[in-house]
Amino acid sequence: MVVDALLSGGVQAGGETVIDKLDRPGATLVSLLEQADWAILIDAIQGNGQPGTIRRFDQRDWPAYRGGLSSHGFGVLDALMLARELGSLPSRLDLYGIEIGSASPGEEARSEILAASAQLAQRIAADLADPIR
Amino acid sequence: MTDQQRSVAIHVPVLARVEGEGALDLRIEDGDIAELRLRIFEPPRFFEKFLEGRHYTEIPDMVARICGICPVAYQVTAAQALEKLFGVELDPWARDMRRVFYCGEWIQSHSLHIHLLAAPDFFGCNNAIELARIAPEEVRRGLRIQALGNELMDLFGARSVHPVGVRIGGFHGAPSLARIQAMREKLRAALPEAEALIRWAAAIPMPQDDQAFVSVATHHPTDYAIERGQIAVSDGLRIEADAFDAHFAEQHVPHSTALFSTYHQQPYLVGPLARLNLNHVRLPEQVRALLTESGLVLPSRNLFDSLLARAVEILLALHEALRLLDGYRVPDSPWVPVTPRAGVAIGCTEAPRGLLWHRYEMDGEGRVVNARIVPPTSQNQGRIEEDLRLSLLNFGLDHPDDALRLHCEKVIRNYDPCISCATHFLRFNLDRA
Repeated sequence: MVVDALLSGGVQAGGETVIDKLDRPGATLVSLLEQADWAILIDAIQGNGQPGTIRRFDQRDWPAYRGGLSSHGFGVLDALMLARELGSLPSRLDLYGIEIGSASPGEEARSEILAASAQLAQRIAADLADPIR
Repeated sequence: MTDQQRSVAIHVPVLARVEGEGALDLRIEDGDIAELRLRIFEPPRFFEKFLEGRHYTEIPDMVARICGICPVAYQVTAAQALEKLFGVELDPWARDMRRVFYCGEWIQSHSLHIHLLAAPDFFGCNNAIELARIAPEEVRRGLRIQALGNELMDLFGARSVHPVGVRIGGFHGAPSLARIQAMREKLRAALPEAEALIRWAAAIPMPQDDQAFVSVATHHPTDYAIERGQIAVSDGLRIEADAFDAHFAEQHVPHSTALFSTYHQQPYLVGPLARLNLNHVRLPEQVRALLTESGLVLPSRNLFDSLLARAVEILLALHEALRLLDGYRVPDSPWVPVTPRAGVAIGCTEAPRGLLWHRYEMDGEGRVVNARIVPPTSQNQGRIEEDLRLSLLNFGLDHPDDALRLHCEKVIRNYDPCISCATHFLRFNLDRA
């Protein structure tokens, strides 16, 4: 949803910028990160926050991670920790989560999640326009 | 920790994971195993009901959803069964590319299991992240091989997770020659990496175990069986997939909602080691030479050789994909027309984890009346219980509880069941008598 919002907001891939939607990348994320200088990762999260809450994580948050929502026991944070161990993390990594509350297969995204996606897309577009921010 | 009476109860709570749920109950009394029960609740049972009433054109995409790691196995097995019933003769291009597609799945699934799930056990590591600390180059190599397998699946399936490329009668599309040439270069470049992986796997100190067990795998007169073949048993039985029910039985057991499979009333092994035990003479010469160099004596009676068997099958899959992509041509049509008819469709192939058997009763309009899917994990369930019992006795029950738990995990992970996705899943409660 954030990718869609980015694209509809005029941010385009090309040159040195790659915009991708990943479907349960698992360990494949490690090799993708290896090729990047700056990666912005966005995932759905289920925490204690209200649906639509945007959270930003840095590496100090990682040790608190337990299990998570991954299939096959190897999720985004596992891949990030493995990448860190292998020295494959990009020099800049912005990791965002959007609280989704409960979710059912086939269910439409709630309005607050769509709004959060649009808000995060604006923030990322501004970052891309001015990376020093 | 163990007490002097040797009365130990280990209970592993049910785990809710996307790819499977499992539990292990182990009770040791007076230095002997009083109770050992493994429960695995595998997802395909739900899918059998979901498939009823569905048109045959929907089946490949639906069964791909059964497993995120081995969707190709489910797609190709369903397609094989239905094409046989409908009297479809695949174009040689489609027949070969089904095998290449399947090779991609073996490569990614085996590399995932070796490096992220199984190998950490044998280096005293809790997970792949710890393993990366002491063997970073090997883990990097494993990730590269896994990514290549994913790429090969993506080439024919449009995506590697739940691919959508297969249709009854062939494929929906054919990759361009340029994409195939690029893939061939990558596959060729991966050969020395896969050879190094075999040497590395062969050098890992494995527990020594010696058990008599029945191996079951598909078998083909010329190929190392993957996507076609008869069902072969290590006692010499050779049957077509249609005769499965005459020799194999699925039954409910009181302690599990999953079905246990038996062959002539005994547990049996499916998967890489069973395949290698039965089909190693069908390996290409280059792979067989490296297998000989590794020192692995076949048939093996040590399930801990499964990790090496997976490494050997990765090299086989690379060679097979290269061989079949040699002289690639874009076909006039990647599929042939299909006319459905009523009847019973039965098929079997070799999923990364072992024999996968499908049966569909179809009506005249090409809709599923009922479906039955026998996945490898449920077939191995009885064998895992038997293995745990024998292996624990061989290991010694006087070890501390943590060592017993780790040994159980190692044994179970040899089979790469869906529950092994949850590495170090044995969170157990200990009661002492």
